[in-house]
Amino acid sequence: MTTTTVVPRRHPKGAGLAPLAGYLARRLLSAAVVVAIVSMLVFAFVHAAPGGPERSIGGRFATAEQLVAIREQYRLNDPLWTQYGQFVSSALGLDFGTSYSMREPVTDSISRAASTTVPLVLFGWLAALLIGTALGVVSARHAGGAFDRGVLGFTVVGASAPIFATAILLSYVFGVALGWLPTLGEGDGGMDRIRHLVLPGVTLAIAAMAAITKVTKVRVGQVLEADHITFATARGLPPRGVLVSEVLRNSGVQLVTQAGAVLVAMLSAVILVEEVFDLDGLGSLLIQAITARDIPLIQAITLFTCIFIVAVNLVVDLVCMAIDPRLRIGRGGVTR
Amino acid sequence: MSTSLTLTGWRTRRPRRRPGIPVGVLIAAVLLLVPIVCVLFPSLGPGNATRIVASDALLTPSAEHWLGTDSLGRDVFARMVHGASSALLGPLLLASVTVAISTVLALIAGYYRGWADGVISRFVDVLYSVPPLVVAVVLVGVLGGGFWLGVAVLTVFNLPHNVRVLRAAVEEQAQLPYIEAAKTLGTKSIRILWRHLVPVISPLIVASFFLRFTYGIVDLSALSFLGLGVPPGSTDWGRMLAENRVTMLQNFWATAAPGLALIVMAVSANIVGDWLYNRYEAAGRAR
Repeated sequence: MTTTTVVPRRHPKGAGLAPLAGYLARRLLSAAVVVAIVSMLVFAFVHAAPGGPERSIGGRFATAEQLVAIREQYRLNDPLWTQYGQFVSSALGLDFGTSYSMREPVTDSISRAASTTVPLVLFGWLAALLIGTALGVVSARHAGGAFDRGVLGFTVVGASAPIFATAILLSYVFGVALGWLPTLGEGDGGMDRIRHLVLPGVTLAIAAMAAITKVTKVRVGQVLEADHITFATARGLPPRGVLVSEVLRNSGVQLVTQAGAVLVAMLSAVILVEEVFDLDGLGSLLIQAITARDIPLIQAITLFTCIFIVAVNLVVDLVCMAIDPRLRIGRGGVTR
Repeated sequence: MSTSLTLTGWRTRRPRRRPGIPVGVLIAAVLLLVPIVCVLFPSLGPGNATRIVASDALLTPSAEHWLGTDSLGRDVFARMVHGASSALLGPLLLASVTVAISTVLALIAGYYRGWADGVISRFVDVLYSVPPLVVAVVLVGVLGGGFWLGVAVLTVFNLPHNVRVLRAAVEEQAQLPYIEAAKTLGTKSIRILWRHLVPVISPLIVASFFLRFTYGIVDLSALSFLGLGVPPGSTDWGRMLAENRVTMLQNFWATAAPGLALIVMAVSANIVGDWLYNRYEAAGRAR
């Protein structure tokens, strides 16, 4: 018996390239516009604070002379457009001024906090991606079975329970009642730090995992009903081969889109998780800045968050185009 | 080699469809009624929600204090009952306004199409990937507007998802023969929308109401938990969670009760919403 491998014909090389470049240019432009608009709103924060900017810098007990001096020092008497230009040009050089409450350059506070938040989010996200996709695939294959029903229960609870409530309950069960893991602070480096980040990371992962499992299950379920899966199985492809080359490839666009959405959604979850577990990350830094009316710090965190969201969306769209050639030739709209 | 032709690879088993309302959904619906009972009978139970009795601080559950007391000696059970209205009101308002506005926008965009569709879809695309809670935290934090500003901000940022789901349904329905038939008969488009199209997608509208209600509970209680929602001293489940968790070792139930109540409320609303949504989807496929 001779076997011939059927190699799927690739899309002719180069055919999709010109529209791709145009699409990329359009996307970058619109990303820049979004960031510019947000930067204006963020700039306006200075003047939106109750009692005006000089009040928020000087505090409640500043005298009239002090307020005048502050207006002078922070150039608050200049026209708004000059102030905005000043803000943008220093922001481009990553200079957001000095934090009122931390008494240090804003970028220093942010990079220190990021060293806690970034590993935390990355761990939660990757764990959620791996386990969530696996759970979704298995439950789609055994749809209606006991495993599927169990997973369904988990996704409903994981996706809708308020994350700070689950965080507190988890920290009580594993930190206090069982005493397995520390629940407060970020530890003193090395293994201790990892031990401190386990519970917050798992909490983050559970919520994200639920969302990923749900989408994976729905999409993989759809793909499994398609004729080409029956055909691939009939050709005698091993189930694992079918899974990778047919099922996952055809679900890729939806999975990648959801992975991006989950990463963005983790931004709000991480604020709450850091508050519960008393971690000095970006989320608690933001809350601290808000409590202290520390406008430069709020501005910088908001702007970085916005740039992060825009970048994630851009990367998601590009990865989707790499996965699905059909998206490259059209006008570039990714249908979700 | 097996000679049978059954394909045992990656075929799905179709889930059996059960008639009637599943037990889980019924339980969820009943649980959603509990806070309403609390709102109707605010003086349930023996305790007092606001009276501070310093000598009674941090008692564990007893016949006198069903869930014990918090660090100021206030009765936790009474505070739970009292806090139900705050837990319901914000999410109810958020969900109703979101659903009302997004239904109108979806009808305009999905049925009339044209430039209005372009404008609405751009608005949806731009705001779609923004996490509502982060915006609410920053805006409420900077402007200091409190609870109602939070509700307003969350409503605006809940719109995009809802508009997208409803718009897709409207567009799908608008191409079906019954709409075309109504058009051919010369029915006014307003009448087509309200008498023909809206009734068909109404299960989806109700489902989206429950899903928005879920997000409302989660995000509004998160704002209160962070100290940005209801003012200090209010009886609110999110706030209770934040205040009582430092004394969790003394009275576990002062923290667990609001936490579990929030989880149960959010999960129940989500179960009801999901069930309605799946039923609408299944009905669409059967047609």
